[in-house]
Amino acid sequence: MRLTPLSFVMLMTLSWVYPSVAIAQAPATAIPRTADGKPDLSGIWQAMNTAAWDIQDHAAQKGVPGGPGVVEGNEIPYKPEALGQKTKNYEERATLDPETKCYLPGVPRITYMGFPFQIIQKPNELTILYEYIHTVRYIFANGTPHPKGPIEWWLGDSRGRWEGDTLVVDVVHFNDQTWFDRAGNFHSDALHVVERYSLMDPDHINYTVTIEDPKVFTRPWNMTMVLYRHKEKNFQLYEYECYGFDFEKVYPYPDLGAAR
Amino acid sequence: MNTRNLIIAFGIGVALSLTTAPVGGQGQGGAANRPAAKPWPPPKLSDGQPDVQGIWAAVNGGSTSLTNPISGGEDFDRRVTGENIRRPSRVIDPPDGLLPYQPWAAARQKRQESDYEHPSRPEHIDTQHRCLLSGIPRLYTIVPSFRIIQIPGSVVFVWDEYHAYRVIPLDGRPHIASNVKLWMGDARGHWEGNTLVVDTTNLRGARLTYIGDFFSENAHVTERMTFADADNMTYQATVDDPTVFTRPWTFKIGHRRRPDDETWESACWEGNPDPDVWLKK
Repeated sequence: MRLTPLSFVMLMTLSWVYPSVAIAQAPATAIPRTADGKPDLSGIWQAMNTAAWDIQDHAAQKGVPGGPGVVEGNEIPYKPEALGQKTKNYEERATLDPETKCYLPGVPRITYMGFPFQIIQKPNELTILYEYIHTVRYIFANGTPHPKGPIEWWLGDSRGRWEGDTLVVDVVHFNDQTWFDRAGNFHSDALHVVERYSLMDPDHINYTVTIEDPKVFTRPWNMTMVLYRHKEKNFQLYEYECYGFDFEKVYPYPDLGAAR
Repeated sequence: MNTRNLIIAFGIGVALSLTTAPVGGQGQGGAANRPAAKPWPPPKLSDGQPDVQGIWAAVNGGSTSLTNPISGGEDFDRRVTGENIRRPSRVIDPPDGLLPYQPWAAARQKRQESDYEHPSRPEHIDTQHRCLLSGIPRLYTIVPSFRIIQIPGSVVFVWDEYHAYRVIPLDGRPHIASNVKLWMGDARGHWEGNTLVVDTTNLRGARLTYIGDFFSENAHVTERMTFADADNMTYQATVDDPTVFTRPWTFKIGHRRRPDDETWESACWEGNPDPDVWLKK
């Protein structure tokens, strides 16, 4: 294609306005933005990895897909006195994992439980609706600080702020009842989580998490993974109910179906 | 339920409300965060929806009964004093204010009411007390508030308790396959002026009240949420379930706007007492 004089002028103008951006790449990296210019994270997303089973590198077992972990460097810096608990958790995971009791799974575990979730973004507040146990999480992004503790919540208290195009969410006020995965990786009530949500393009979020818990770990450590946008036509969240008893037997209303 | 169990249950209720009240509905700031009155008629959002966002709650909420919707406190009073307390039925059609059960279903409701009064097995405990999702339309009759969030093409309701939510698409997409049953159903909505009309299918069979009212998985619910002014909404639901009832019926309940405030975590199942606490020995 030959450049007409007009398009040449336009190209030159663009290169003055966006000197650091190669013009040919601009459309590929454009991300959706809200009316106030912030990256727009709205939509239905899902992690596509095996972190729900084990956040570290792991081989497959029966019923467990193997795969690379999401921990940067793969090592989790447990304090020596905490390693025994991690080992015990793994050995007795069939009964000890809080997932088996249907508790809210904590942050960041809720992100990679393997179920889709919907982000609703408003200027001062983000709401995340997770399909898993219809978990709801509010991220307050209006500059307010965490409430004064001590508070022990399953999902903690989330306060968000924008650092450039990255949503940074600071989460504290956890209880010590949740794990990071089905492999027994755990934390205490001193857990401090910092999540970073950064759009790589319209359909992918780079999601990184810094875990800090001086009662359990010798230093902060990071997880990183990609969150994928659901693009299917008419995709919507269903429900994943979870109760620690057999409610199908206890509450038999389906017996009133068409068969009657 | 005998008096001893009733007092235990009431005590648990008070304890729960004491522990959850500061975190369930009240965030930082309280009345200081109260915004100026909302404008009316409501401003239009970018996709043309009237903006009715905020926190709302039933005016005389309570899950005891649709036909005699006494409050939890009145329910306690009447059990202790034996006094028969009556409230106007929420049922506006049929005109007699009663639920038009088929005979077998009326008998089942009576049995469930009796079981609720004298619980001896786990299934006698109301589903809401065990933190099962109360579903649609029951969640619009409970006391705790909910938040309306509007995004382009959808209306979202998030309840303060039970971490229940529903997303109602407005784009006219078809319902999901009829074999899929959801506690919250599958909702499709559209606006008629300032009335949100919602067609809800794919519901599981569920209990509707503490006194054992119920519908089957064949229920089809048509909801009309009429926003009369900036602070008042009337919720109306027509239940069409030929498996359980002789005809469609309709109830309504008023809702009022509450002050904007942060919604804090309200876990339900995690604090659930052992079912033995509820059962009559």
